[in-house]
Amino acid sequence: MIDFQSGYILRPANPLFIYFSLLCALLLNLLPIGNYGWVPDWLIICIVFWNIHQHRYVGVMIAFTLGLLMDVHNSDLLGLHAFSYSLVAYLAISWHRRIIALSVFTQALHLLPIFLLVSLFPVLTHWVLSGELYWWALTGSIQALIETMLWPIATRILLAPQRRPIDVDHNRPI
Amino acid sequence: MLIDFRYKTLNPIRDNVNWILRPLEYVMLMPRNVFDAGSEYFTTRGTLDKENQEMKVRQAELSLLANQSEFLLIENQNLRQLMDLQKQIPFKTLPVEILFNPPNPISQRIVINRGGHDDLKLGNPIANDAGILGQVVRLYDRSAEVSLLEDPDFAVPVQVARNGLRAAVFGAGRGNPLELRYLPVASDLEVGDVLITSGIDGVYPPGFAVAVISRIERNADKNSSNVLCVPVAVVNRYRQALALLYDPQFDAKPSVVNKSSSGGAGVMTPGRRQTRARGMQ
Repeated sequence: MIDFQSGYILRPANPLFIYFSLLCALLLNLLPIGNYGWVPDWLIICIVFWNIHQHRYVGVMIAFTLGLLMDVHNSDLLGLHAFSYSLVAYLAISWHRRIIALSVFTQALHLLPIFLLVSLFPVLTHWVLSGELYWWALTGSIQALIETMLWPIATRILLAPQRRPIDVDHNRPI
Repeated sequence: MLIDFRYKTLNPIRDNVNWILRPLEYVMLMPRNVFDAGSEYFTTRGTLDKENQEMKVRQAELSLLANQSEFLLIENQNLRQLMDLQKQIPFKTLPVEILFNPPNPISQRIVINRGGHDDLKLGNPIANDAGILGQVVRLYDRSAEVSLLEDPDFAVPVQVARNGLRAAVFGAGRGNPLELRYLPVASDLEVGDVLITSGIDGVYPPGFAVAVISRIERNADKNSSNVLCVPVAVVNRYRQALALLYDPQFDAKPSVVNKSSSGGAGVMTPGRRQTRARGMQ
């Protein structure tokens, strides 16, 4: 696959690394930071990243399963995260050709609505179910902004194994 | 989502997922615990002094509250003897540890480290040394989820410690103060009144502090008053709490009737208002 930022051809992605990164993101999400609205959802960054870059490995089903795990952890309605994660995964996969050709910062801007959707989905669902809108809970959009800002860093970290040179020449470093 | 909201058929799935997830959560609790242990080890004399001072103040406050509740207890017993009602029901306590509070923009819950295996039941109240924290709303084998007082539609029957006026405290959502509803304008309330559980519903044992009145808006036109209160127990302060194993079945007198209709009366839906006249034959 071509890295559109540098123009080089990337090494093939290692599926083990993909699943390992998803596991790490899940564990980061389980950290007991507290009930704050701004704490970024590491898992959705990771899922969207792999949806865009390697949609054959990470698709809607994996997003759904991980969302189910997050539902149980957050003691939400079963299916709340599962649905929003799979919806977002579907959007990301259908946009991946368009997004992957952009520069990293434009990519982040394109992904802002996706992250917003995930952050505000529980609030909106609660609105539909109970008829009360918690304005205060709309501060969850800060979470989406932070996730957007983390996107370039995530790209750097998650693409690093594929950006390694194929044969390392110790005598002639570039 | 609707299936989970309306019916409880998905609970086995939730239990199984939780069974897988809980060890991972315990692993991720370790960094925080190590950090806490480290910072505890390096506490300075000054902070210890300060903490000591706070403890003393707290002890004074608590003994005051204890005196108050003792007075109420005696009064209550006397009244009960006068009216020939049944005696107070003893209950057991179970120390629990608060594991974490899961992120949720609308309501705040806590997860504790005891569950159905430790005889915890759905609907058991959880209290810390200050007062009532909340109620068990979801039970796993070794852990449970506790809904806090602030939760919307969460109601606790209370009485004012000063004059015994009965009312109900309702949660109004995360970050909002609690509300004392259905009270006429002329009711004798003051800012700073302590509200304690009245034990009417048979879920909460009587005499536990719940909230303190923080603001009263009297509306003479509608003959209603908006009374806002602040919960007494602070969640994020301590990690230890007590589960009160108070069996509400004790005071349900007609046991035969109750058994046959236990689907309705015996099984409590947590967070729902369930009032039952107490001591009635």
